[in-house]
Amino acid sequence: MNQTGVTGVPGASRPSRSHWIVIGAVLLCLALIAGALVYIMPVLALLGNHDAAPGRNVPAPAHAPPPLDSKQRINILLLGSDNDQKFREDALLSQTMIVVSVDPAHHQVTLLSLPRDLWVEIPAYGNAKIDLAYARGGAALARATVEKAFKIPIHYYAWIGLKGLVRVVDRLGGIDVDVLHPVLDDNYPNDFNASGYGTERVYLAAGPQHLDGRHALQYVRSRHGDLLSDFGRSIRQQQVLLALQQQAEGMDPVTALPNFARDLNGHVKTDLDLVRVTQLALFMRGLRAGDVRQAFITPFVRDATSPDGQQILLADWPAVNRYLRQLFGEDLLS
Amino acid sequence: MNRRDRTLTLAAIALLAAACSSNGATPHDPGKVVLPSKQMTVAGKLYATKGRSLYRFSGTHLTPLLTGVKVKDPAVSADGTRLAFAQLQEQSSAIVLGDVEGKARQRITPPSAPEGALWAFSPSFSADAKQLLYLTDRGKEPSSPRDLKPNDLGVWLYDAGTGRSHRVVAPAPYTGGDSDPLFRPGASDQLIYTTYLYGGVPLQPAARLTWMSTRTGASVSLSPERARNFQPAFSPDGQYLAFIRADSGRDDLYVMALGTSFSREPRPYPTEAAILLQSGMVSQPVWAPDGSAIAFLMPTKGSFDLFVLPVTTTGTVRASGPAQAVTHGSFLDADSRLAWSP
Repeated sequence: MNQTGVTGVPGASRPSRSHWIVIGAVLLCLALIAGALVYIMPVLALLGNHDAAPGRNVPAPAHAPPPLDSKQRINILLLGSDNDQKFREDALLSQTMIVVSVDPAHHQVTLLSLPRDLWVEIPAYGNAKIDLAYARGGAALARATVEKAFKIPIHYYAWIGLKGLVRVVDRLGGIDVDVLHPVLDDNYPNDFNASGYGTERVYLAAGPQHLDGRHALQYVRSRHGDLLSDFGRSIRQQQVLLALQQQAEGMDPVTALPNFARDLNGHVKTDLDLVRVTQLALFMRGLRAGDVRQAFITPFVRDATSPDGQQILLADWPAVNRYLRQLFGEDLLS
Repeated sequence: MNRRDRTLTLAAIALLAAACSSNGATPHDPGKVVLPSKQMTVAGKLYATKGRSLYRFSGTHLTPLLTGVKVKDPAVSADGTRLAFAQLQEQSSAIVLGDVEGKARQRITPPSAPEGALWAFSPSFSADAKQLLYLTDRGKEPSSPRDLKPNDLGVWLYDAGTGRSHRVVAPAPYTGGDSDPLFRPGASDQLIYTTYLYGGVPLQPAARLTWMSTRTGASVSLSPERARNFQPAFSPDGQYLAFIRADSGRDDLYVMALGTSFSREPRPYPTEAAILLQSGMVSQPVWAPDGSAIAFLMPTKGSFDLFVLPVTTTGTVRASGPAQAVTHGSFLDADSRLAWSP
């Protein structure tokens, strides 16, 4: 007689309490994993959007990124380009080149703007304005050009298009900026009309104000009404980067990250991986205004004309190198 | 555990850590003016814009005005009967003048001219309301992408008696031009404005408060070459000038005394002796008609809101209490002037 009163297949028995606990734990784990994947897939999709490899023989990055647990400096080349409607996607000049240098040991970030008209040697191409590097060989050639000219090891790159910036700012609910000068531009490129061509009139009053994405883009992009032209634009670009960092401090990264990723998909290319993005985001959240250093090589360049008649900037390289030594110490390439 | 799994695990841990230290979500524009639960009583009538719509705060009442009109830079005459503002169109703007309810409106500047579409902003009444100062890019050269010309804003004066305008200050090219023109109360031949320029080596953006005698045409700077001082606002008696000083990433509200008669070389610069009234990212200061307070816009958690700071000018000028919020989380237009009338 079956003592338990259970009949059926020999050896089979009603699951015990411990079995239910194990099954419950497994289901919970599966649910958590499924939830995490739903959460994280847009982020992984974004970070999987790499720049196409250049056709030319471009030197490999000078250095591998430092280990996650190290206190070594991390340099990211931030690239910004014209929109991707008007030009071939693989032939965009980089309108913005900023080296973002994160120094965990000293809890400091340096923003170094590189003028787009600077005359440099582009590896495997020859002498040209630095903004041509991205057009000719994508992020890899832009990285190699910066490493060769400035001896700064570039560990990662991040490219952002015009719509990408607009969406980042709007996702943050806008940014607070002290507009340095009245911005008046009767010939501002209207990139968001159907053809990608045409101009519009832009006016931004000077002084502290809240900018949405469209107006933040106008602020960093306009240069026709600025005596300092590209240098003035570099100042404004760094100002907006700082405003973005400050605005992001109030953001909840857990809920915001997937939304950012969805917004930016197709408008950002980067070789940053998820762990590094997370590490950098956490580092940036702890920054105070005094921890960010703004740097420009403008005092060490002069106007000139290239052999083919272009208006260019020539650098006083010994002076530039001394300046970079002040900024980066011994962290430059030999 | 492979590399991908480790990546996901680490990321999840890091995100959870970030969540623990989160300050909460960034506030977004509610699309309307929001008053705090403990409402402040506004003496007189205080005007501000939100989303280019004009609002009047008076007592504890909030009144929308000029429905459907895109308004920037409202100005009210000293007697509180006349209203002027910049009316925004798609690619241009014009100065409009009317009564204080926004009725009987007339446009006093053209939206376009042979040189192209025009901007006009920042109207400001003379004490008798017979003249208006304003900004415009009128008189610029026609410009195209292949033949770029400067289109900076200059200071112009409109005479209600003749219905004509003329330029008072020509802007320096490619600086953005001048801003914030004001008549000095009690001195009809003096005006103040902000000159935008570049100073130092290498050149950096600068903003100087400029004092001008309309009688002689002479002008002098009240602030140093490399500093950024802007958005002047006169006390009702014309003795004190409040303004914003940008320094070290802040835009603080200062106030200074100004000599009664026009001086050719005020040294040291009067702004150097100015007194700090309010720290923060302050914008668009304006004095109460009785001189007892200064209103301004300042962001809290991403939203520019309206504040009123009580001040006293007995002895030395100073704040006589903390600033009180008139709005809360309203995202008011911080690039648009405030106006305050009896």
